[in-house]
Amino acid sequence: MLRRIERLLVDLSIAAVLGLCALITANVLLRALFNAGIPDSTVLVAELMVAAVVLPLAATTTARAHIAVELVANRLPPRVGDALIVLGSVFGLIALAPLIWAGWREATGVIEKGSFFYGELQLPKWPGRVIFLIGMVICWVRLALMVVTDIRTLRAGGRLADQHPEEAA
Amino acid sequence: MDGTLVGLVAFAALILLLGLRVPIAFALAGVATIGTFVMFAFRTGAFSPDRAFRPTASLVFSNSFDLIHSYDLSMIPLFVALGHIAYRAEITTKIYHAARVWLSAIPGGVAMASVMGCAGFSAITGSSIACASTMGRICAPEMLSMGYDKRLATASVAAGGTLGSLIPPSVLFIIYGIFTETSISSLFLAGILPGLISLLGFLLVIWLWVLRDPGAAPAGVDTLPLGQRLKAALEAWPAVLLFVIIVGGIYGGIFTATEAAAVCVAVTLLIGFAQRRLTWRAVIESLRETVVQTTSIFIIAAGAKIFVAFIALTGVAGDIVGAVQAADLSIPLLMLAIAAIYLLLGMFLDPIGIMVLTLPLLVPLVEGYGLDLIWFGVVVIKLLEIGLITPPVGLNVFVIASVVGKEVPIDRIFSGITRFLAVDVIVLALLMAFPILSLLIPNAM
Amino acid sequence: ETTLIFGEAGPNRGARAAALTQFTEDATRLSEGDLQFDIQWGGALFKAGAALSGIADGVADLGTVISVYFPQEMVAYGIADLPLKNDDAWVGMKATDDLMRNNAGITNSLADMNLVYLGTFTTSAVHIGCKGAAIRSVDDIKGLKVRGVGAYGKAFQDLGATMVPMSVYDAYQGLDSGLLDCSQGYSYATAALKQQEVINSYTLLNWGQVGALGILMNKDAFDALSEADQQALLKAGEAMPDTLGELITIDNDKAVQTMKDAGVEIITLPDADREKLVTAGAPYIDAWIEQANAAGLDGAALLTEYRDLIAKYEAERAEQGYPWTR
Ligand code: NA
Ligand code: NA
Repeated sequence: MLRRIERLLVDLSIAAVLGLCALITANVLLRALFNAGIPDSTVLVAELMVAAVVLPLAATTTARAHIAVELVANRLPPRVGDALIVLGSVFGLIALAPLIWAGWREATGVIEKGSFFYGELQLPKWPGRVIFLIGMVICWVRLALMVVTDIRTLRAGGRLADQHPEEAA
Repeated sequence: MDGTLVGLVAFAALILLLGLRVPIAFALAGVATIGTFVMFAFRTGAFSPDRAFRPTASLVFSNSFDLIHSYDLSMIPLFVALGHIAYRAEITTKIYHAARVWLSAIPGGVAMASVMGCAGFSAITGSSIACASTMGRICAPEMLSMGYDKRLATASVAAGGTLGSLIPPSVLFIIYGIFTETSISSLFLAGILPGLISLLGFLLVIWLWVLRDPGAAPAGVDTLPLGQRLKAALEAWPAVLLFVIIVGGIYGGIFTATEAAAVCVAVTLLIGFAQRRLTWRAVIESLRETVVQTTSIFIIAAGAKIFVAFIALTGVAGDIVGAVQAADLSIPLLMLAIAAIYLLLGMFLDPIGIMVLTLPLLVPLVEGYGLDLIWFGVVVIKLLEIGLITPPVGLNVFVIASVVGKEVPIDRIFSGITRFLAVDVIVLALLMAFPILSLLIPNAM
Repeated sequence: ETTLIFGEAGPNRGARAAALTQFTEDATRLSEGDLQFDIQWGGALFKAGAALSGIADGVADLGTVISVYFPQEMVAYGIADLPLKNDDAWVGMKATDDLMRNNAGITNSLADMNLVYLGTFTTSAVHIGCKGAAIRSVDDIKGLKVRGVGAYGKAFQDLGATMVPMSVYDAYQGLDSGLLDCSQGYSYATAALKQQEVINSYTLLNWGQVGALGILMNKDAFDALSEADQQALLKAGEAMPDTLGELITIDNDKAVQTMKDAGVEIITLPDADREKLVTAGAPYIDAWIEQANAAGLDGAALLTEYRDLIAKYEAERAEQGYPWTR
């Protein structure tokens, strides 16, 4: 279930990148050819950026694609190295939790107040904030699940490196 | 609670966590969040956690969200996508084939060409990260597949990416110009020669590297007849077209550097589909890689942004600058102290963050010594560029790492970087000792 | 002694920074050294787009809020951004400060957001610098590629200009490359960003200003202060129009001179064309009234009050001159 959600989020992120490309290119063409432009394109681009960047967070986590320095860990016994991977995930849970709480406050805040961006279209501020919150929450859930299954694997004497994270991406 | 103490403990905790292989983004964001909480909880002297929740949450949210919610930074996912799609459309392979055929006589020639490509690209984007993202995706995998030493292939592009801010245009120079009220065009001109000297230094590193260890670069192929070499060059036309579009578009006033990224992706898609080398499936696959990579870069940058806000709160940067000011140093010692401050902060923080934290305090000090602010700007930008490739937090290195994936671990890239850093230190010393290197061109204009 | 954290998105240079520093020094002096400030420049704590929540949540105790980032929450303050044919920096600030300080409805709506108004800035009158093209009449606007500012940009668009999305810092390069024909801005900022290096003409629009930015404080932090300290902050804030008015007027004059010295042609728009601009801006004044009404304020009444205040301070200036010349 979570895998399918992650995949959907990545697909949405891909759509956002294509949207960025199309929106900006269209704006350039409209300006160069017809002396016209897409209204509020900077706001639209910034909102799409949130989707492009935050939605794949859970899939990145599943793929264990978060960048880490492995200099010390590689010189430790494998089991200790694996334990450190779990530690990293636990620290991720700690790091993301305040962001989720803050994201919730912010998202509900802008919805309540009806905040919008200055511009021709007066685009609402909530979509980017809600997308940010969704990306963070799903990532947090994924991290929590990984901590549980990784600990289970380690207890059963398995190795974390034995898993095949590629299938996730 | 003493802010400087909290700041220094946080730096130590960060090093420890990174050593324990905690993902960099989580380590930065987590330490900064906890540190921020401590700062707010102790604001009144006594420990009152209930007063710290709201400001901490607000600080971590706004700093991470605002970094991502950015029109200007949309250039990064688009340039990363450009690298991936151009690779699938075989555009990058064709350039590398041409480079290899033409540069076969020069050991390490393709690595040198890559670094020169970085210099060329930096004249376009104005951002080191964007430069490393694009060139990293294009160059590093090609060099690896040619049989280049992993450290050489990755480190040369990570280092080459740092030319992005020294060679104009450059976002960092613009911000510096605003904080110092100096002429941005003079700063741009001042960066040209130091940028080229840095470039020469990097080429020298590659040359010496391959000279001492011929195995680091693939053995040269026999020089092909001119006809075949010309054919290879002609086949690289889509890359040349892209380059012409970017340079012509930006300098011809048709689009901005941010817009160039989008236009290039669109043109690459057109060429790829027209040449029947791309399918939608392949495009989607490239974008799948793009978004995961972009995310892993941005989440680190967002963590770094939170860390900067936390460091601002501690006042540690101000205290260090204050100590330098109080020491009443001679000019050479002052410059050494400033270099030490920037290198120290550059270990952990991003360039813009460092400038925002230090310039309001440093510039009056430097002005008081009667030093030239244009020259000082070049020195500062060079120092900030060095910070992009120093451990433990080296954003350019992380960008390259995200591009090459698990094939080359970060530590290997950092280990390759040391030789480039050595040259950077020499270039830096030259720039500090001979202001004329920076001021020659702006003064001549 | 209390140290207050001040969050400012801009650099520690220029007229606004000087006025901000003056504000903190005044507050320290008026509180007899009880209030100290830790100013965080350049958006080190939060960018302009997060200033409102940053202050309301206590990331900083007080800070600069630029209303255009919060058209919904700061709708009342936004009145100072409208093209009301009030291009005098001091008059604009006095009128805005008077309104923000004394209108109970505004004070209450700020209090609901955990905010207290302390004092106002202005970016001063909106003018426009061009490369290649020159705006000598309203008809010249048609077909130009322009980087715009707020309602002034929108009105330009209605007059046939194309808006190019671009940050003010990129405008230099945009003008240089020809991507932009013109960039709207304020004289001192145009000079600070060295745009005189790339523009050939600078047209004084004498149309209006962007004045909806100022210092707001976290209400909890404000309420926690002694009565004397609160008064010190309010008094220091009240002095800001005089401080910044003098600084910005001098800076703007200097900037225009800098542009002249760089060979930039300074153009003054004829009165008839200025009226056309005012007409073009009118729909955005009406739109603001609608928004204010939607937010539960009496937009038309606020506008009348504000126009009266502008007239009041214009009269004061006409009679007595600026405070710093008296
Ligand atoms: Na550059
Ligand atoms: Na570093």
